Amino acid sequence: MQFYISVITQTMITLIAVAGVYVLSNLTGMFSLGQAAFMAIGAYTSGIFVVKLGWPFIPSAIIAILVSVVIGFIVGLPTVNLRRDYISLVTLGFGEAMAALLNQMSWLTGGASGFSGFPKLITLPIAASVAAVSVILVAFFKKSKYGRQCIALKGDELAAKAMGINVARVKMIAFLFSVGLVSLSGIMYAFVITYVDPSLFGWRKSAEWVIMAFFGGVNSLTGSVLSVVVLTALPEVLRFLSDYRMVFYAIVVLLIINFKPDGLLGTWELTPKGVKSLFKEKEDTKCS
Amino acid sequence: MAIQILLNGLAVGAVYALIATGFALIFNILKFSNFSHGGLMTSSVFVGYFVSVATGWSLIPILITSILAGGVIAFFGELVAFRRITIQKSANFYYFVSSITLGTLYEAIVTIIIGPGFYVYPMFFKKPAIWIGNFVIQTGSMVMLCISTVVLIILVYVIEKTKTGRGLRAVSFDRDTAYLMGIDVYRTIRIAFVISGVLGGLAGVFLGIYNFTLTAQLGTMVTKGFIASVIGGLGSITGAVIGAILLGLLETVLIYFIGSGYSPVVVFLVMIVFLFLRPQGIAGSNVQEKA
Amino acid sequence: MLLEVMKVWKSFGGVQAICDLNLGVDKGEIVGIIGPNGAGKTTIFNVISGVYTADKGSVILDGQNITKLPQHEITKLGIGRTFQNIRLFKGLSTIENVMCAFDPQSKYGFIDSILPTPKRMSEEKRGLELCKHYLEIVGLKDKLHSEPQNLAYGHQRRLEIARALMCNPKVLLLDEPAAGLNPTEISELSNLIVDLGKKFGFAIILIEHRLELVMGISHRIFVQNFGKTISVGTPEQVRDDPEVIKAYLGAEEGK
Repeated sequence: MQFYISVITQTMITLIAVAGVYVLSNLTGMFSLGQAAFMAIGAYTSGIFVVKLGWPFIPSAIIAILVSVVIGFIVGLPTVNLRRDYISLVTLGFGEAMAALLNQMSWLTGGASGFSGFPKLITLPIAASVAAVSVILVAFFKKSKYGRQCIALKGDELAAKAMGINVARVKMIAFLFSVGLVSLSGIMYAFVITYVDPSLFGWRKSAEWVIMAFFGGVNSLTGSVLSVVVLTALPEVLRFLSDYRMVFYAIVVLLIINFKPDGLLGTWELTPKGVKSLFKEKEDTKCS
Repeated sequence: MAIQILLNGLAVGAVYALIATGFALIFNILKFSNFSHGGLMTSSVFVGYFVSVATGWSLIPILITSILAGGVIAFFGELVAFRRITIQKSANFYYFVSSITLGTLYEAIVTIIIGPGFYVYPMFFKKPAIWIGNFVIQTGSMVMLCISTVVLIILVYVIEKTKTGRGLRAVSFDRDTAYLMGIDVYRTIRIAFVISGVLGGLAGVFLGIYNFTLTAQLGTMVTKGFIASVIGGLGSITGAVIGAILLGLLETVLIYFIGSGYSPVVVFLVMIVFLFLRPQGIAGSNVQEKA
Repeated sequence: MLLEVMKVWKSFGGVQAICDLNLGVDKGEIVGIIGPNGAGKTTIFNVISGVYTADKGSVILDGQNITKLPQHEITKLGIGRTFQNIRLFKGLSTIENVMCAFDPQSKYGFIDSILPTPKRMSEEKRGLELCKHYLEIVGLKDKLHSEPQNLAYGHQRRLEIARALMCNPKVLLLDEPAAGLNPTEISELSNLIVDLGKKFGFAIILIEHRLELVMGISHRIFVQNFGKTISVGTPEQVRDDPEVIKAYLGAEEGK
């Protein structure tokens, strides 16, 4: 039972991060291979305040998220307006730089041996609630003017600008929202697992989130949620698979890309409109 | 001492150049950053390693093994991850997701086979160091520098002067027109991947020699190649080479002065500054979009 | 003059796309730009709307110099446009496409965007009403929730127009709005454009190859060839101009 609780808790925490990645990648089309660095910043900052300075949890968490967003702003400023490939490379470099910093500053962070001593403050109900709230916030964002503008600029930046959309600003907003969520996920993680070390936050983790986000659908929040559940929980439950977890993911995702490139659910969402569309006949281009 | 650092930097830069060109080739021809390149390098290096343990062969045969492994793995990778989306002319981000997934797959397979440990790369050279005049240089570095330079020259020759190279350039420029001109576009793309795999396999072996140890984390080295590509200007082969050499020099100098721990931080800062000042890289060009 | 393009030059590499362009347009006017392919017509729109910055010369909108402003600011100041190759936003429905043009004007902030606040709800409602209004004007009232790629070509072009209307333009730039339409559709489009001009009072600049459309509704016509203006005048004047006839000889006459 304990095992299942821990698996579900882990899933909830990953869900928060993937919701953040969804905003950045599925909605806005930017691929960051360094988002995990913000998870680290969230975890370590809150850790420093709680464990080393003795601050209470909630203010520490809030500060940790603020710190992440500020760093995100600094990193984002030169980055978000670059072409897509450059964004990935720069965020990759940032992630590596952050990992190096965390390793080097061992007087503050414990270096490669990690930072432990987090009190176990987060339980499954808390993690699940935070995850649910995060997903709901992202859902609202998607339906809002920002969500639309993100999708617009992802598809055609030039036309978006021509419609008056301040692309630079919208990209930054999406990026910072994503950073906030990912950082929150890191805080949750730290106070459940009670131990973090720099190796957890490399580009592979960031890549894993991108894969999970797209596995579910090219632009489906429902799909991303589903895929986190499936891809996290399933290999854990089928324990013999957990060594092969990454191989399993990768093969499944490659299959999907080859045979259903829009991801499992494409752009379908679990909304009243979405459910209705399952029953409606395919709309014809009627002869007028 | 300075010359020592210079030579080492050049040697490292040469290897990064191999990585960066492998990367740039794919970028030119398919317009995306192939994030599986690192995984490819790791896999082909380990193939070479296990073969060398099993057979005790010396450097050249192992190099050839890794090169072949690289080519084969790249060919397989293209088939599994990129062929369909190329034929369907999918949007750019599909390639991205696909290449990350493929890279993850490569690394995952390697991790399963070798576990978290590290392996000591065989010492291929009887003399660990060579004297050139007053300067000492590691044999490994010297060999890396020489072979890399030769390979890069061959590569440039192939691209500029041969029919295959022309095909590569044509497809990079305009896929549809190349097709209409009778070029077998898909075959050309496969060739690009194989060459990229060859370069990757070679680079991997050299990184193994340079670092003496081999872990599944080798793929992280490839970030250097990526960064070199960015500095050089994504898509430009010459730019990639120059960027890589600069990066190698910079990194070697940094390691000498501040230790290897902080160097990723400085490299990242350099990259950011570079992008701010010259977003198209050293040799890239600003392409204005036509409305 | 509402919009003035003064002594504008623009080149790319060695190619001179616009040479010494002087074009002005007033409220309520419809100005047509015609010319063989490659004459630099879309480039003119791109310079006006800020996709490119003019090498020399200036663009003045309603007294304000917009030459060096970024695209989105120029749009806010009153330039709306459609595109030669339809550029609708994939992943968004018809009405959402038009909403995108409303969104930059929408008055709520980030916190409202992640929560269902009253301000957000009322702004969204306001926007949707406006979208429906514009979509109705262009005749797409019953296609609000369609996917743009499923719309007939002619309807996609109308959607682009509705989207441009949402930008509250003082000057509307239409880039080959009739391309791909049959004669009946062209006639309907023709009436639509004239109606829009009368109803909203903005200036319209129209790039077109279909001479029956552009000659029929324009007050004035600019004829471009190789980046230069070779003739300006009323449709009748331009039609009889020997320079114009020479430029078109050998080139496709309309499509």
